[in-house]
Amino acid sequence: MAALAALAATVGGLLRLRAAGAEGQWRRLRGAGLLRGLLQPDSATGVAAQRRHVAHFTFQPDPEPQEYGQTQKMNLFQAITSALDNSLAKDPTAVIFGEDVAFGGVFRCTVGLRDKYGKDRVFNTPLCEQGIVGFGIGVAVTGATAIAEIQFADYIFPAFDQIVNEAAKYRYRSGDLFNCGSLTIRAPWGCVGHGALYHSQSPEAFFAHCPGIKVVVPRSPFQAKGLLLSCIEDKNPCIFFEPKILYRAAVEQVPVEPYNIPLSQAEVIQEGSDVTLVAWGTQVHVIREVASMAQEKLGVSCEVIDLRTILPWDMDTVCKSVIKTGRLLISHEAPLTGGFASEISSTVQEECFLNLEAPISRVCGYDTPFPHIFEPFYIPDKWKCYDALRKMINY
Amino acid sequence: MAVAAAAAAARIWGSSRGLGQAGLLLLRRPGAWGLARSLPQRRAQQHFPSLDDKPQFPGASAEFVDKLEFIQPNVISGIPVYRVMDRQGQIINPSEDPHLPQEKVLKFYKSMTLLNTMDRILYESQRQGRISFYMTNYGEEGTHVGSAAALDNTDLVFGQYREAAVGAAYAAKRANANRVVICYFGEGAASEGDAHAGFNFAATLECPIIFFCRNNGYAISTPTSEQYRGDGIAARGPGYGIMSIRVDGNDVFAVYNATKEARRRAVAENQPFLIEAMTYRIGHHSTSDDSSAYRSVDEVSYWDKQDHPISRLRHHLQGRGWWDEEQEKAWRKQSRKKVMEAFEQAERKPKPSPSLLFSDVYQEMPPQLRKQQEALARHLQTYGEHYPLDHFEK
Repeated sequence: MAALAALAATVGGLLRLRAAGAEGQWRRLRGAGLLRGLLQPDSATGVAAQRRHVAHFTFQPDPEPQEYGQTQKMNLFQAITSALDNSLAKDPTAVIFGEDVAFGGVFRCTVGLRDKYGKDRVFNTPLCEQGIVGFGIGVAVTGATAIAEIQFADYIFPAFDQIVNEAAKYRYRSGDLFNCGSLTIRAPWGCVGHGALYHSQSPEAFFAHCPGIKVVVPRSPFQAKGLLLSCIEDKNPCIFFEPKILYRAAVEQVPVEPYNIPLSQAEVIQEGSDVTLVAWGTQVHVIREVASMAQEKLGVSCEVIDLRTILPWDMDTVCKSVIKTGRLLISHEAPLTGGFASEISSTVQEECFLNLEAPISRVCGYDTPFPHIFEPFYIPDKWKCYDALRKMINY
Repeated sequence: MAVAAAAAAARIWGSSRGLGQAGLLLLRRPGAWGLARSLPQRRAQQHFPSLDDKPQFPGASAEFVDKLEFIQPNVISGIPVYRVMDRQGQIINPSEDPHLPQEKVLKFYKSMTLLNTMDRILYESQRQGRISFYMTNYGEEGTHVGSAAALDNTDLVFGQYREAAVGAAYAAKRANANRVVICYFGEGAASEGDAHAGFNFAATLECPIIFFCRNNGYAISTPTSEQYRGDGIAARGPGYGIMSIRVDGNDVFAVYNATKEARRRAVAENQPFLIEAMTYRIGHHSTSDDSSAYRSVDEVSYWDKQDHPISRLRHHLQGRGWWDEEQEKAWRKQSRKKVMEAFEQAERKPKPSPSLLFSDVYQEMPPQLRKQQEALARHLQTYGEHYPLDHFEK
C-alpha cells in the first residue's frame, strides 16, 4: 500500500517535472529504485529513454525600450500583472473577475491585486464561462471597466453565444444607445508542450468571423503589456489571448509605467526582400528562427511580420510587404482549414495577385483536435516552415 | 488505496489541512482497513469529539441523519401564490392594501389599457402588411405595469440578458448608485443555461437585482408541463440562496407590493430577489403563431373573461367610485386616437440611409468596413432600381 502511494506520488512528481522542464531534477529521479522498472537507459532495453522534448521555439526578447521610462525584468505573466495593476490604479471602476483570480490565478497573472485593490475589485466567480462573460457585459454596459478571465482559451466556447450574439452586437443593435466597449476578456492560449486537447487550443479563427469584437495576440512581455492596456482602454469589447508557453519562458525588460501599443497595426520586426513571413503569438519566434535559417542555408532574405491584432487586421502592412517580396508564408498552430491564414491568403491574392511569384503557403496545425502525445508532430515547427519556404523559393 | 493516499496526504499537509480531518476519520475506523495499527502512535491519541456531532464539510452545514430518505419535490402544494385582490377586485387582507392615491391607480389602469389598445392596433397592422412582426401582451399587462410602477426612474431594466443584468447590478452596487436592476424573462427562458448562471452569480456576488419571471403557461407552443417538472421557477430560487416569492401576476397590487419590497431590500441588503408572477398568455406568441394549433379556444376564453388583470383593476376602481362607464368610453376613444396618430406619424417617416448599415459595429469604422460601405454605394448607383430605395433616406 505504502509502495503504491509512493509510486503515485512519484508519477505525480514526474508529471510536474515535465511541466516545469527541469532537466536536473529529472536526472536525480531516474536514480530512484522504483523507477528502474519504468525507465531504462538506451543500452539496457534498446528503447529510447523518455526524455522531455525541447521547446519548439526560442524566445527572442526585443531590445530594451527607451521611450517609456524605467523598465524592469518581467516575464509574460508579470507583464500582464503590471498592466492589470496600472489599470486598476488609474481607473476606479475597473474590476477583474473569473475562476481562481482571487488567490492570484492558475498562471499567477493576478497575484497581489486583490490585497492591493480589495475583494470587491478582484474576485472569483462560480465555474461558468457564459456567466463570466455575460456578467462582464453587464458591468461594461454601466460604463465600468470589466476585465474577465477565462481560465484557458479552450474553455471559451460556453461563452461563445455571449461574445458573438451579445457583446459583439450590443452597440450595433441599440444604434449606439448602449455598448459594452469597456469589456476585455483574457485567456491563456496556444500549445504548451503537454496541454493536449483542452489546454492547447488557439481559437482566434472562430472569433475572427465576428464583427464587433477585437482579437489580439501578443508575442512577448513588452508587447503584451502595451497591447493589453490598449484592449482595456479600447471602446470595443476585446479578446486578449496570452500564449501560455511564454508565461515563464519569455523574459525581457518591460516599462513599469503604463504605455500603449496600437491595435490593428502589424509590426514588421525584420525587414527582408525575398519572402514575407506572417505569424502571431508564440509562432512569431518560430518564423524568426526560420528567417535566420533561410538566410544562412539558402541566402534568402525574409521579411518577418507579427500580425498582433487578428480582428480587425492590418491588411495594408501585409499587402505592402507582399508587393515588395512577391512571396507569402503564413503560419499558425490552429488547424489549417478555416484557420486565420485562409483569410489572409484570400485577401492577399485579391489585392496582390499580379505581384505573387508563388502560391501563398500556409504552415498550420493539422485538421485534428490538438493531440496529446503527438504534439511534437502536430505543431508547425521550424522544419515544416523551412521546408515550405524552400519549396516556395524554388517554385 | 484512498486510505493510503489520505495517510500520505496527512503526513505531508498535517492534520489541520483539507484532506486531513476526513482522512483521519477513515483512519480511525477500526478493523476494516487494518491500518490503524500501522500508523504512528501519536495519530491514535488525537481526539476530535466534535467530529461525530456535526458535519465539518466546507460545502454544506446541515445536520447528520441516519435514515435513508430522498427529499420529495413538492409540486402539488408548492410555493403559495401571493395576492391582494380577489377576482372581483376586492382587497382581501386590508393590511396588504398598498393605499395608493387615486391618481396613481388610475395611471396603472390607463397604462394597462393603453398597452392593450396599442396591441390591438399593431396586431391588425401586421395583418394588413404595414409592419413585419408583432408580439402582444394580452393577459400580462398586470405584470408589466405593477412591477414598473414599483421602480425608480433611474433603475435599470433588462428585458432578457440575465447574466448582463447581474453584471450591471454589481457595478451599480460598487458605484453606490442606489439603483436596482430588474431583469424580465419568461418561464421558457428560465430553462436557458444563462438563467442558471445569472441566479448563481447574483447570489454569490451579492447583487441588487430583481429577477422577474413571467410564468404565462406557454413558451410558444410548449406548455409548462414540458418546460419543467419542479414547482415552477420560484422553487429554484432557494436552491441558489435567493429570496423568492410567487405572486398572482393578474393582480396588479400583488405585483406592485412584491416588487416594491424586493426593490427596497435588494438595494438595502445587496442581495437578489426572485419574483415569479403567475399569469396567462391570452394572445398568440406572436403574429407568426396560431395558438389554436395547440390549445383550446375555451381555455383562452376562460382567462380572457374570468381572470383578466385589466378587468380586475377596473372592478376595483369602480368599487371605489374612481371610474365609470362614461370615463371608460371616453378613454377608449382617446387611447385609440393616441395610438393611431403615433402610428401614422411613424409610418410617414422614411427609413434611415442604407449607409448606416455599417455604423456602430465598432465605435470607429475600421478601413475594411469603410471599403465595403463604399462598395455598396457604388453598387446602388448602378443597380439601385432593384432596391426599395424610395422608402429610405439618401
